[in-house]
Amino acid sequence: MKVVLYHWEPNANSGKPMLTLVEKGVEFESHYLDLLNFDQHKPEYLKINPQGTIPAMTHGDIVLTESTAIMEYVDQAFEGPRLMPDDPVERWRVRWWMKFMDQWLAPSFSMIGWSVFVGPSVRERDPEELKAAIDRIPLPERRIAWNKAIYNKFSAEEMAESQRRVALGINKLEEALSKRPWLAGNSYSLADINAFNLAYALPLSQPDLSNDEKTPHIMEWLRKVYERPATQKTWAMGKTAMVARVKILERGAN
Amino acid sequence: MAMTLYHGEPNGPSLTVLATLFEKGVEADLKRIDLASGERHTLPFAKDTEVALSIEGEGPVLVVDGTPMTDALYVAMYLDEIGGGPSLQPPGALGHWDVLVWARFVAERLAPAASTLGTRAYLAPRLAGRSKADVDAMIARIDSVDLADRWRAVAANDYPEEQVADSHRKLKLVTERTEKALENSDWLLGDFSITDLEVYGWLASMPLLSAAAFADTPKTKAWMERVKSRPSVQKALALATIEEATQYWAPGPEHSRWG
Repeated sequence: MKVVLYHWEPNANSGKPMLTLVEKGVEFESHYLDLLNFDQHKPEYLKINPQGTIPAMTHGDIVLTESTAIMEYVDQAFEGPRLMPDDPVERWRVRWWMKFMDQWLAPSFSMIGWSVFVGPSVRERDPEELKAAIDRIPLPERRIAWNKAIYNKFSAEEMAESQRRVALGINKLEEALSKRPWLAGNSYSLADINAFNLAYALPLSQPDLSNDEKTPHIMEWLRKVYERPATQKTWAMGKTAMVARVKILERGAN
Repeated sequence: MAMTLYHGEPNGPSLTVLATLFEKGVEADLKRIDLASGERHTLPFAKDTEVALSIEGEGPVLVVDGTPMTDALYVAMYLDEIGGGPSLQPPGALGHWDVLVWARFVAERLAPAASTLGTRAYLAPRLAGRSKADVDAMIARIDSVDLADRWRAVAANDYPEEQVADSHRKLKLVTERTEKALENSDWLLGDFSITDLEVYGWLASMPLLSAAAFADTPKTKAWMERVKSRPSVQKALALATIEEATQYWAPGPEHSRWG
């Protein structure tokens, strides 16, 4: 059965199933959607995923959404190296950390990322065109989120809270990686794939909080993931300067 | 394998884990703690990352050979994997994906909405009856800044109108989804699963608190009776030490900060 993945850059949610598929050695057809050009809200894509969120994956006639759930699907449905630990307690820990990242840490990272990086570049577009693009977003929650992101409607408190969470999250990652070789246990797992997508640019985006002195375990873990052939192959699918930041993880790069 | 379950009254996530334990016939030492008095934060492992920062808020903790595990649906998944009897997840990779997608929907929509309405109706009055110094001291023990903030909002009875309206809106989305899922089957995912226990745990007291969401939802109402009458759920409910376990609430997950 054919596998088709609809994705943006190897970054955040899109990068999770991309790296998982490549780690498993699953051949897939890649459909690149430009998130910042709102390709995901265009009619041809809404036919695949009416919610207009990316990534989405089709496997034969099956349509799958939600990046973290897709990762577990891919791990179970295909041959190749297992990306969930054998120990049931470690499997629980993989899921706990993925939820913690998806619902607590990643939204804080993305609030900061949008405010300083993505928002300003999107706002250079024609305002009328931008408004029309927002109006086309099918899910009301996503419409509110995009509106906030594009027009930088984050309050000072919200930004401070996101910065607090990012700092605490970095400490917690450092603590976890100082206890175990990989995020959830003794083997490389979906938790590492999820976290790498969130954290690969940390030494550039949060240089004061994450560096070789303050977070040596995070840095070594990032470099170990970066050096995996599947990571190299996946990040080579990126088209923008944003994901080229991954090169900071070359040993001796900084 | 030594297993201890620290649980609250059988409602919400505590009900989910208790009922799963009984469905799977897993032996565990059951220890009741008063989640609604912040007792979870006095446990020896309260400051462990996976306990202190659990997205679920004041949920149960299953300790397996010294490892404290939180987030009821994932604990239920663990019990399903190690316990006896038939699997409580639909088969194959697609079945498992279904459980995970529901879990995300519950965590982002149902759980924050139910927690808002449940704590507003039942926990806020309870805290109002305690001295301010006592409540402040309880909140001061909480390691997570955002969870402590949610407790403070309950203690101050601070429920902005738009948050209440948003909670009712989210519950309507939930019952639309359950009604659709139950169109041709008795259970949400075909056969009975941990998703039924998860959704029921959060939903049990909502017909009282968000009646409009249940208008014209005959299938959901019948399904709730079906879940409630399962021996595992009855056994969990029999552990209640208060008259109405569904009126037992402690702060759950937050509403998405992205609106």
